[in-house]
Amino acid sequence: MRGRLPAVLWLTCVWVLLWGTFTPASIVGGLVVAVLVTALFRLPPATDRLPVRPLRICGLVLFLLWDIAVSGVEVSWEVLRHGPRARGAIMAVPLIASSDQVVTIMASALSLSPGTMALQIDHDHDVWYVYALGPRDDADVDRARRRVVDMQRRVLSALGSPDEQAEAERLLGRMS
Amino acid sequence: MTDVVSAVLLLGGALSCLLGAFGLLRLPDLPGRLQAATKPQTLGLLLILAGTALRVELESAVTLLLVGLFQVITAPVISQLLGRSAYRAGAVRRDLLVADELAGKMPEEDES
Repeated sequence: MRGRLPAVLWLTCVWVLLWGTFTPASIVGGLVVAVLVTALFRLPPATDRLPVRPLRICGLVLFLLWDIAVSGVEVSWEVLRHGPRARGAIMAVPLIASSDQVVTIMASALSLSPGTMALQIDHDHDVWYVYALGPRDDADVDRARRRVVDMQRRVLSALGSPDEQAEAERLLGRMS
Repeated sequence: MTDVVSAVLLLGGALSCLLGAFGLLRLPDLPGRLQAATKPQTLGLLLILAGTALRVELESAVTLLLVGLFQVITAPVISQLLGRSAYRAGAVRRDLLVADELAGKMPEEDES
């Protein structure tokens, strides 16, 4: 039951938001539904617990919101400026993350970042392949690559281990 | 005052969605169009939701938050799946890429 607690809380939250009323009935109803759903549809237990750093997680959420705004503007600008002559690049970027949950969060964060998405994740070699819209020459490609690593650094500073954070810093240092 | 802010948000959102649609028409290849379909689109929707939230009572505004959240969670996943399938199927135009470091490295079976 303890492992299911986050899922139960989250589902209850969604239920209450769907009803749009904060009444005891909707909260209790949500709890009942959440317990039933998590009991009926068992997820494999999460192998590793993510560190809880509320402040940094809030910072990450704010950064992601900012990223959505920048993304929208940058992609729109690319459309207006280059349109049919737009170019893209697919890059191999080192993947610094040991747990599947962090990789999932990184892939989501990447698709909120300006003009990028993950195409393929190669866990065996710790590399992921990232598409970016916009680079027109090698210097641009390197800039885009740096941006991806920087995004990873931000996710790790909220959810990663100290070792992973140090590795991200090292990698960024090597790239500059 | 609220009306002004809300109008700005709604119009900004509509403009962003329009640019996204424009990108679908103007960008030359599939991954690029996917970016246009997900990013300006998501931003536009969030702005429109924010503009709407200012105009309705709090209880409905909270539900709009959920709409935004699910959009942010789902759009990236879809674009990633489409992008991968397109690359695998050879639907990504190589001549439009300044670099392709995935060339020849895509595994045959799907394992993830």
